[in-house]
Amino acid sequence: MNKWKKKQPATTKTFKRPTLAGDGFGGRAGFFFSRALTNIRQNVFVNVVTVGTITLALLIVSLFLLVFVNLENAAENWSERVQVTVYFDKELTAQDQSAFREKISMLPGVSKVSYVTRDEALRRFKSRLKGQETLLEGVRPEVLPASFEIALKRSYRDTVSVENFVTVLKRIPGITEVQYGEEWVRRFNSFLNFMRLLGGLLGGFLVIAVIFIVSNTIKLTIYSRRDELEVMALVGATRFFIKAPFLLEGLMQGMVGAVLSVVLLFGLYEGFLHNAGSFLTFNPVTSGLSFLPPEYIAGLLLAGALLGFIGSLTSLKRFISV
Amino acid sequence: MIQLHNVSLAYQQDASALNNIDLKIAKGEFVFLTGPSGAGKTSLLRLLYGALTPNRGQVLIDGQNITRLPASQIPLLRRSIGVVFQDFKLLQNRTVFENVAITLEVLGWGRADIGKKTMHILKLMGIESKYNLVTQRLSGGEQQRVALARALVNDPKILLADEPTGNLDDANKNQILNIFKEANIRGTTVVVATHDRRLIEQSYKRLVTLNKGEIVEQVEKETASDDKDL
Repeated sequence: MNKWKKKQPATTKTFKRPTLAGDGFGGRAGFFFSRALTNIRQNVFVNVVTVGTITLALLIVSLFLLVFVNLENAAENWSERVQVTVYFDKELTAQDQSAFREKISMLPGVSKVSYVTRDEALRRFKSRLKGQETLLEGVRPEVLPASFEIALKRSYRDTVSVENFVTVLKRIPGITEVQYGEEWVRRFNSFLNFMRLLGGLLGGFLVIAVIFIVSNTIKLTIYSRRDELEVMALVGATRFFIKAPFLLEGLMQGMVGAVLSVVLLFGLYEGFLHNAGSFLTFNPVTSGLSFLPPEYIAGLLLAGALLGFIGSLTSLKRFISV
Repeated sequence: MIQLHNVSLAYQQDASALNNIDLKIAKGEFVFLTGPSGAGKTSLLRLLYGALTPNRGQVLIDGQNITRLPASQIPLLRRSIGVVFQDFKLLQNRTVFENVAITLEVLGWGRADIGKKTMHILKLMGIESKYNLVTQRLSGGEQQRVALARALVNDPKILLADEPTGNLDDANKNQILNIFKEANIRGTTVVVATHDRRLIEQSYKRLVTLNKGEIVEQVEKETASDDKDL
């Protein structure tokens, strides 16, 4: 500001109207941007409160997302156990094996087919009864059936798909006995659906609450500067001209809030990973926990920016009546 | 420059603020608008800068019927009108310079030009030394001059002032009046609403008296008043 002092006009002279900077946002972008920054500098407290609110709000949402994503991952891993098994009374010849393998592999949804011999079945049985091997004394491999274990692709693991798959599978001549743990698949899938529904509901409420809180905070900050909006309108500023710096300000607040919330979330996540071992029964480092994938982080940043922008936009609507 | 035809305005159905106003103000005129409180002075001024639209009648500014103006055109109208408000409407946490510069920023002037022009007008108002003070630290008279500077900085065609000398002492009143006169001499049409009898007696050329929303009297002096008492 001090430079104006040096530039004081020595004498009164007439001023001709200077050429205007370009019209529209493009031409004025620099002005709007510097105005927004000036506003932030002149209203530090209000801005800190707004950014803080956005940060906390997004932190809650992202914390929820993190938990949800990890639960979903865990569920995906559990669903590996959805497996269809075809039993045969006798050991198959190598020729039969490859014939069945070929036919089964051609069915839609199959991701892996593996043959389990009678000997292999006995070995597994034994390892499952570790420490009580005596129970299996006298049990010979011939007692146990040989089998094909069929793993399904992810999208084929829900109850209906598994049932359809089994129906088709049974049409292959020579296959009679099929097991797939109907009860387990059904329970697992209904649990998964319940979890998704609950997550969706909770997430939905959270998002609504966050939008409500943030938009009200922004509304208050704009309310505290309504005289500025009024004065600008009275000296002939167009609506766009009045709004643009506020919208930019909201955008910046939203982005800063989003970045802060992601940083905080990462801090919390790392802290949890390295300290939770002492009070949890499992070690979180090795349990396959993961941070939010990059597309979620990008989504959060975008959501923050949008939150600030739309919050400002809707609040301004209320105060600008030129 | 300003024409009102059969203008009526009511804030509520049965309480009219202005009634059948017919008024013509030519370019370069200096008009005092007077009358008791609630006579409709402020309402009349607000019609002129597009803050209100009349229920009936036409308001023409510079040949343009502003009652038919779309909302998006109102800002453009206001750029040629300077308004001084009863309560100043200054931004309290901004400096004197910023308060005045806002008029030029809205017009899209460049930084350097804004600086020159703003300091120039502050100098005319005699407050150039306070350019970097926030307005809430100024006296009433100084605030009034900032408000005037903001209204006059872009050399408006019309200057509207609502009780511009409301809380000022005589010395300040005369200075403010002088500023109006100088603006008028430079070609600005000036409309001042006031019930300060003494101010009017001193210097009026044309006086319009309102009462209960109607024009009850119009007086015009043939010759401009002399300035010896200012």
